[in-house]
Amino acid sequence: MSTVTSKDKAELASTVPLSDEDGRRWRGLVLPVVAVALWWVLARADLVNSALLVSPGKVLATASDQVVTGKLWRALGASLAREFTGFLIGSVAGLLLGALLGVSRGFNRLIGPSFNTFKQISLFAWIPLISVWFGLGDTAKVVFLSLAALVPVVVNTCDGIRSTPKPLLEVARVYGYSRLQTFVHVVLPAATPAIFTGIYLALIYSWLATIGAEYLLVAGVGIGNLLIEGSEHFQMDLVIFGMFVVGLVGWLMNAVARRAERRLAHLRGAAQ
Amino acid sequence: MTIATELELDLDLRGVGKVYASNQAEGGQLQVLDGIDLHIPAGEFVAVVGASGCGKSTLLRLILGLDAHYDGAITLGGAAVRGTGPERGIVFQDHRLFPWLTVEQNIAVGLRNARYTAAEKRELVKDHIELVGLEGFEHSYPHQISGGMAQRVAIARGLVNRPRVLLLDEPFGALDALTRARLQTELQRIWQKEKITMILVTHDVEEAVFLGDRVVVMQPRPGRIRRIVRVPLAHPRNRSDPVFIRIRDDVLSDFLAPDGAPQAADEFPGDAVHAAAAPLPSLAYLRMAW
Amino acid sequence: MTALTLSAGATARTAASWVPRSAWLIAPWLLPLTLFALWQTGASQGWISPQVLPPPAFVWDTLRDLVTSGDLWLNLRASLLRVLVGFAGGSLLGLALGTAMGLWRPLQAYLLPTFNALVQIPVLAWLPFVLLLVGIGEPLKYILIAKAALVPVTLNTLQGFRLASPALREVAKVYGYTRRQEVIEVVLPLATPTIFTGLRLGFTKAWLSLVVVELVASSEGIGYLIVYGRQLFQLDLVMAAVIVVGAIGYLIDRLLDWSEARLIGARQATRGAGETQ
Repeated sequence: MSTVTSKDKAELASTVPLSDEDGRRWRGLVLPVVAVALWWVLARADLVNSALLVSPGKVLATASDQVVTGKLWRALGASLAREFTGFLIGSVAGLLLGALLGVSRGFNRLIGPSFNTFKQISLFAWIPLISVWFGLGDTAKVVFLSLAALVPVVVNTCDGIRSTPKPLLEVARVYGYSRLQTFVHVVLPAATPAIFTGIYLALIYSWLATIGAEYLLVAGVGIGNLLIEGSEHFQMDLVIFGMFVVGLVGWLMNAVARRAERRLAHLRGAAQ
Repeated sequence: MTIATELELDLDLRGVGKVYASNQAEGGQLQVLDGIDLHIPAGEFVAVVGASGCGKSTLLRLILGLDAHYDGAITLGGAAVRGTGPERGIVFQDHRLFPWLTVEQNIAVGLRNARYTAAEKRELVKDHIELVGLEGFEHSYPHQISGGMAQRVAIARGLVNRPRVLLLDEPFGALDALTRARLQTELQRIWQKEKITMILVTHDVEEAVFLGDRVVVMQPRPGRIRRIVRVPLAHPRNRSDPVFIRIRDDVLSDFLAPDGAPQAADEFPGDAVHAAAAPLPSLAYLRMAW
Repeated sequence: MTALTLSAGATARTAASWVPRSAWLIAPWLLPLTLFALWQTGASQGWISPQVLPPPAFVWDTLRDLVTSGDLWLNLRASLLRVLVGFAGGSLLGLALGTAMGLWRPLQAYLLPTFNALVQIPVLAWLPFVLLLVGIGEPLKYILIAKAALVPVTLNTLQGFRLASPALREVAKVYGYTRRQEVIEVVLPLATPTIFTGLRLGFTKAWLSLVVVELVASSEGIGYLIVYGRQLFQLDLVMAAVIVVGAIGYLIDRLLDWSEARLIGARQATRGAGETQ
């Protein structure tokens, strides 16, 4: 479990959009505006004879319908509730497990290799088994989401704790810190950025897992179900609307997490 | 560009000034250099010494041509300096070698667009490896050699395309004291052999007096020439020579208070902040003080 | 055992001295063996119904059958083909996009925001959309896997170009490198480790997406085996297939580690750029 944190940094780099430093933000809007305009024209001109080419207007109509009748909120609410439940359970469990793995060499030796093997297997592959053991409803989904959140938290927490700079540990030793004091005053602060990265990833992963879980464990209400419904009834407008919502929620989560990360970094001052 | 005879390529700076936009300075502008007048005849070794913030590195960059916006005029052999060119070379403080190239290939980077045949280039590279004493390390990579050796490669790269002027920006600043002393002697030897103009920027006063024919003392905020001290000693120089020590102390006095301690920040004209960066007396000086 | 004794690669000797070496060696096996023993006992004693958790022997037999009957290879081949095609397409496009945006800032200003917005929509959310467009056949898989690989490759490639050490680029300027020479001989070698990280991440994501897509919408492949087994309540088949997925994932990881070490090892010195001792 040594190089994973740097891979996670790459992971974060690919999930967190690069910021645009230029002040001329309008340039970013050119492409989407042109694309939507083109779409609208094509839909109007009726060139392509297909039920799939819905006009932007239709998408907007569907969108407002979903919002007004509350269907969207029900679906979104259910998805988010499950996600946060799974995220919380997984993060808490992950912090505990990760801390144990990081602090105790013996525990790490006992559990570490098994955990490493477990996390190699694509999480989604477990769903069919989970569906047998827990059914197709909310319980199964939350179990799955907890697992999705657990993995990055464990990995990053353990890594963060184990990478406490040795010079700092030596200072603690020189001043006679007890083990508990060392852990609380040296190890934890040093590991905080890594732990935060883990929780950040857990939030993202559990959101991604939510959609997938709803495709495969189809009982219930959710955004994923909305998308499936759209595709089954050939309602492209619903599908597009659903995609937009998913993207928006993902973006919001990213934005909030990045804000929090910057706050944290600011409070700590420059890290080592 | 044809390589004129040495006598023609004097370096002239007239009224050179440089202003940076800065939101922290007053009026949104920071005057880094102001009214620099300097005439450097071909083949001279000039050392520029000063505390941080006196603009000495900026001066080098302007001469090198990395920055084209400045006040005043910089000419080499009468021709205005515009952009970089093969007649001016540089050695940076961080060696800036390409990590994926060998020592040999790194030196050849200096010849990338030079007008020599392949055979001539190979010959030049070989000569310069010998010049800096790195025979046997042609195929080593930068991460395999020491910092001092890497800096020697950087010097070889700076010289390989036979520039008329070599600029050195605190080239030994990142090295330990022993390596630094060794490389200073090396550089002196190379200069005597190559006979090209060298401009060395440093904050080590002893290094400046050891190597330079003239020592240009600069003061910060804005960067100006405080005075120029001649060093009329023959090469190679002896650090224990009384004349050497006298000249060195003279230059040092610009940076020290009368009782021999480093100047406090607000006592040095114009140097508002960087007391810690004021040139430090060398070990020899401290020894003599007892 | 305290946090003070932590260091990578320490042997049993540096752990607390009361742990004998033999215990240290077998420790990693304790958990798996215990779980296995529980599994075996539970199945043979009838505590657990075979529909919920089949006996280990069952799973082993099924695994062997899959191999000998050629079913495993058939499905594995389909899966691997999809991953390779999707990854190749996605990463080529990603390299092109990342390079183009990295070298021309105006292009970056126009494209990146839209790209970022599309990145926010995960592969799975694209599935119904693409499904409606191209149906349930192979192109669906290729497109989705390509999208999964595209994102990290593009972003990391762009990052590689952005971060390419300005100090070394200045050296190129001093020696009169043309723009073309600068890009090919200086910027590209500097960006390579980051680009490779992107490719590596892209492949991992491609494999993960493959499994998911096959679970949701396919009629052959490793993921399909899992679903098929599940439909028929043949959990032995499900578990066997999961084991295979895990093994393949592990092998891929090893392969990527090895190739990273080979390619980046020599360039490891990139960290040393600009550092003197």
